[in-house]
Amino acid sequence: MTRRTFFLSPAGLLVAANPDPGFRLVDVTQQAGIRFRHNSGAFGAKHLPETMGPGCAFLDYDGDGWLDILLVNSMDWPGHKRQRSTLALYRNNRNGTFTDVTQRAGLALEMYGMGVAVADYDNDGFPDVLITAVGQNRLFRNTGKGSFVDVTEKAGLGGRSAFSTSAIWCDYDRDGFLDLFICNYVKWSPEHDVFCSVDGRNKSYCTPEAYHGSTCWLFRNRGNGAFEDVTAKSGIFDSNSKALGVAMLDHDRDGWPDLFVANDTQPNKLYRNMRNGTFEDVAVASGVAFSEDGKARAGMGVDAADFDNSGVQGLAVTNFDNEMIGLYRAGTGGLYADIAMKSGIGAASRNSLGFGCAFFDANLDGRLDLVAVNGHIDETVRNISRNHGYAQAPHLFLNDRKGGFHDVAAQLGAGFAEPKVARGVAYGDFDGDGDLDLLITTNQGPALLYRNDVTSENRSLRIRLTGTKSNRDAIGATVRMTTPDGTQSRTVKTGGSYLSQSEMAVTFGLGRRDAAGRVVVEWPSGLVQEFKDVKAGAYECTEGKMMRARERY
Amino acid sequence: MDSRRSLTIRLLAGLLVTLTAVAVFSGYSILQLRTLRKLQTQSIDRNRVDSLLLLRIQNSLNSLAIAMRDMLDANEPYPLTAYAPQFARIRMDLEDALAREEKVAPVDRTAGQRRYLAGSLVSFWDALDRIFALARDGQEAEARTRIQLSLQARQAALSTAVAKLLVQNNESEQQAAARTYAIYSGVERNVYLFMAAMLILIVLTSLYLLQYNRRMFDRVAALSERRSELAQQLISMQENTFRSISRELHDDFGQILTAIGVMLQRADRRVSGELQEVREIVQATLDKVRSLSHALHPMVLDEAGLESALDVYLSGFERQTGIAVSYEKTGESRQLDRNLSIHLYRVMQEALNNVARHAESKRASVRLVFLPETIVLEVEDEGVGFCNRKQGMGLVSMRERVELVHGGIEFLDGHAGGVLVRVTAPAVPHETQVTRA
Repeated sequence: MTRRTFFLSPAGLLVAANPDPGFRLVDVTQQAGIRFRHNSGAFGAKHLPETMGPGCAFLDYDGDGWLDILLVNSMDWPGHKRQRSTLALYRNNRNGTFTDVTQRAGLALEMYGMGVAVADYDNDGFPDVLITAVGQNRLFRNTGKGSFVDVTEKAGLGGRSAFSTSAIWCDYDRDGFLDLFICNYVKWSPEHDVFCSVDGRNKSYCTPEAYHGSTCWLFRNRGNGAFEDVTAKSGIFDSNSKALGVAMLDHDRDGWPDLFVANDTQPNKLYRNMRNGTFEDVAVASGVAFSEDGKARAGMGVDAADFDNSGVQGLAVTNFDNEMIGLYRAGTGGLYADIAMKSGIGAASRNSLGFGCAFFDANLDGRLDLVAVNGHIDETVRNISRNHGYAQAPHLFLNDRKGGFHDVAAQLGAGFAEPKVARGVAYGDFDGDGDLDLLITTNQGPALLYRNDVTSENRSLRIRLTGTKSNRDAIGATVRMTTPDGTQSRTVKTGGSYLSQSEMAVTFGLGRRDAAGRVVVEWPSGLVQEFKDVKAGAYECTEGKMMRARERY
Repeated sequence: MDSRRSLTIRLLAGLLVTLTAVAVFSGYSILQLRTLRKLQTQSIDRNRVDSLLLLRIQNSLNSLAIAMRDMLDANEPYPLTAYAPQFARIRMDLEDALAREEKVAPVDRTAGQRRYLAGSLVSFWDALDRIFALARDGQEAEARTRIQLSLQARQAALSTAVAKLLVQNNESEQQAAARTYAIYSGVERNVYLFMAAMLILIVLTSLYLLQYNRRMFDRVAALSERRSELAQQLISMQENTFRSISRELHDDFGQILTAIGVMLQRADRRVSGELQEVREIVQATLDKVRSLSHALHPMVLDEAGLESALDVYLSGFERQTGIAVSYEKTGESRQLDRNLSIHLYRVMQEALNNVARHAESKRASVRLVFLPETIVLEVEDEGVGFCNRKQGMGLVSMRERVELVHGGIEFLDGHAGGVLVRVTAPAVPHETQVTRA
């Protein structure tokens, strides 16, 4: 990019303007009673998995309409046992505080956990939880009575060992039962750990070039509580992949879910759903496999969303430092263009090593903003580079009307822009005030809960979908909402970000308007429902029925 | 006239030579730049793009190697056929890269090389297809053996071929760099040569112009001197002529007419009447002769000196013009050289005439200052300033006269707004001046 185009870009202009972002993020971790600390098990040998976790999730495990919090934890390495560290489930007390219910919920078990994907795979109305791990992943079925049971073996997911990272639930064959896609990073074991060094003296965590790739897995839900490994059959198998992030999107706009997989130092994959149980990788042809200069970047987190209100999903992919975030806008003919530089995100993220990222409308102005959390993989980076710290400030890119983004992280109140060694990020309205709050996990550190306080008069429209013919979570459903300002669209999804999961209800920012002229719901089953004049507020929408207002947001 | 034309022609010729040199040099430089650009686009850039594509091909070949290694490792719970899409992806990428590479391949690549790469790949895919066919038939062990025996070797050969092409590209890139360097240093040398030539040309032209100018100045100075000499001679001659005529008139015609007057007076007593008229005519003629003589050259100047001549002239001037002239003398008066006196007198006369004609002043003053070595004459009026007056020959003749007596003349603003003419001259005139007069 030339200097001229930089100054002409909207972002370049807006950096100088610095308008009020219209919201604040208040750190409420302490007052909410979240005492979680991630234990990476690090004891000095610098095993690669130590620096990669953990993830987090917003979920309503008890079905009371209030979002609860699940935090993934790792553990001490065998032979280096010092403490006990387990997953943590926090139940929402509906007054801004949470209670640790891990023990009661049956999740107080130790595993080297990485990420989480939440969905109601058995369509019983209660969200089930998949925890990815180094070693054996675990599937926990929600009993509906406030507890979980480990069904890994029963579901046919047992007997596998890998370095799994992000995972996603989606109904790729549209049979009404959610299938499971799991990213695997590299072939790693403590015995095969390689010596790497950033500064030439001290051992540091390796970048994945040092290890063999590992294929991702796709499990088809048989509908009877068990899964079938269709990795090979579906054409997903790829032994070169080093996958960290996965997102669902409708790349070819045919209503069948396609999958984008962010690979670290390997070309990204865009698996197009061929509607016959197989996928075809079209990443190279679509322009998302490599950076604009043809390099395979270190893809970490990813999210797909209609960030330009064009009705079509684009993609954001976080990468290593000096690689910038990739912001892909869908063009014609299935081609994507990386507009990171043009939008202002590129230059702003150049010095960041990004992990989790998510599109959400932070200030409810009707345009999706992008949060990206950062942090280096090794503290010795300080020895070699002044630009790149170990702890790094997160980005919150506010979407302006003209296709530009500018980072307002520093304007959101004390704490948020503090450098962190962040990994996962998820959004959800835990306090029921209609705006989206943020949950961030840090490596070998606390999980942080930020309450969003929208300071403008902006209102929101929130809809929770329940499928009947479609999968019960309505994953893959697209909601389009029209106001005189234009049409926004949201897709119900799991996964995305990095190792993390945001809430599944969709949130539209209405700006100053108090109603949407039209809301269209396109269910995965093919049913399309249309609602007129929907006032700001929160709604329940069950497939084939009228929309019902909820008392709270 | 002749020299002027020759100079113009010479300068034009010089300019022409310079312009031609500039044009030739520019043309040469442009030519060199074009060669450089051609080298850049046709060779260096093309080479670089080709190398990048070769690296991409090499990378894909490595991916093939890794995939084969994974197939042989057999630590995946999947059948060998699961690898088919992975190979298909790599194949697509390889074929795309190869097609692009074909387009930008360096011109010096031999047909043999091209054929070898394409042919080897085709046979690789054939072998791979056969292996997957075996795997589909359930003969996984046989398939693995074949991978080990033939496929890996083929991949290695391909990789070596691509590596050779990369080395070739590097070499030709080095050659191109050397050529670029040669062009750059050639251009640099020429720039220096050109600058040196230009410098020499400029120095020569400047020297020539300097010389020429000096000659011109000398000639102008000589001309000016000659002109001044002529003017002075003219003035001196005029003064001499005037003086001799004046003397003739005064001495001879005056005596004669006086005698005639006396005789007529005497005759008047005897003869009556009509002669009275004749006597009056004679008297009038005598007066006219006297005033003409005075006008041509005031004899009083020679006989009684400058001061007496001034007295006579000033009273006459006052009478004729009605301008009140105040006369003032400072210092001890002395007898001045005749020549100096007449020129000072004339300057004073001219200055007063100017006052009468142009100054619109009712008053004027004349000051004569005797200093030990010099004499100063000042004529001042109270009329309009100097810049509002017309300039005539009067000023020129004043300057020439002052010059004749080796003095200086200044035209200053008067105290009362008019003009002050100040002449300063050495009181003892120059020897040569005396002889010339």
